[in-house]
Amino acid sequence: MVLHLHFYLRVFLWRSAVPKKVLIVDDSQAELHLMQSMLQQGGFHSVGISDPTRIEEAIEEEHPNVILLDVVMPLRNGFQACRDLKSQQPYSSIPVILVTSKSAPSDRYWGEQQGANGYVSKPFTPDELLNAVKRFA
Amino acid sequence: MSHSSVLIVSDDTEFARTVAARWQAERRVPEITLTTSDVWQSSAAEGYNLVVVGPVRDNKISAILTALNSIPTSAAVYVSAEAKNVSHLAAEHPHVLIIPRDDGWIGTLILVAGEALRRAAAIARAQRAERISAEAQRNAVLGRYMLDMRPSVNNALTSVLGNADLLLLEPGQIHPDAREQIRTIHTMALRLHEIMQRFSSVAAEMRAGEKESQAETNSASQISPAGLAR
Repeated sequence: MVLHLHFYLRVFLWRSAVPKKVLIVDDSQAELHLMQSMLQQGGFHSVGISDPTRIEEAIEEEHPNVILLDVVMPLRNGFQACRDLKSQQPYSSIPVILVTSKSAPSDRYWGEQQGANGYVSKPFTPDELLNAVKRFA
Repeated sequence: MSHSSVLIVSDDTEFARTVAARWQAERRVPEITLTTSDVWQSSAAEGYNLVVVGPVRDNKISAILTALNSIPTSAAVYVSAEAKNVSHLAAEHPHVLIIPRDDGWIGTLILVAGEALRRAAAIARAQRAERISAEAQRNAVLGRYMLDMRPSVNNALTSVLGNADLLLLEPGQIHPDAREQIRTIHTMALRLHEIMQRFSSVAAEMRAGEKESQAETNSASQISPAGLAR
């Protein structure tokens, strides 16, 4: 029994020590860099991609704990991407936070309809971004 | 509503005096200006809603009527002393109304002039409404553009505010003066953000107002004729 507790404690401590990984998808390099810097400040490890058609590929490679998804992107917008992820079994369990400059209540509602777990409106403070990520990571 | 204006062109002072005096008895008296054919200039007529031409020297009438016929902005009435010329003059100057100076001419003139002034006022109202509508459309286009640009402004503000936040999070690494400047940039960007939020609130309030007004219109249009009859 003691051995078991010891084992679980070690696993817990190990898991706590490993920084959580966040996949950021945004077509703007400036915003990718900004969010990566903010997450780094908050103790997260982040990976950024600017091509929204490569999300699934990036998930397979990086195994992120949370995905930050911009909404307005060429080729595949954040709503579409979120809907696709939430409808595919291997990816549906990964929390998706939409990060968007569309801050109207109708946009937020539409985001929730696509299965998004969180919603961060631009412009955001480092605290707002980190708090949103910490809810799921 | 602006006051109607009438120009009376006549070399017969009695004619001008009679018309002006008769008009004083009406409920609505226009601003009346008297002039003679010597002083009259066609360009001056454009500023009046109505030009009434009375007896003038023979060699002048043709030039005056021709000039008035070419001014579409103001109505023109000619009170002709010679009844036999009326149809000929009317054919020659279709935009000028010709009234023969027979019994009851002054009553006819006041009646016709009243209609012409009412028409001029209606045209002025329509033009004003058109101007207001054009201005409202321009403002609507600008408003839509601002709303369309809101995400782009928010994107730009994200970068400005976020990077300023990150720089301010690292004390000691930046010179105090530069730090103060970054703080100013941050404050100004926050102010821009507030302006955009206020703009969004105004847009939302306007939408809500429009919906409310639309609902009122719809409910008013649903009143049955039977209900109205009661």
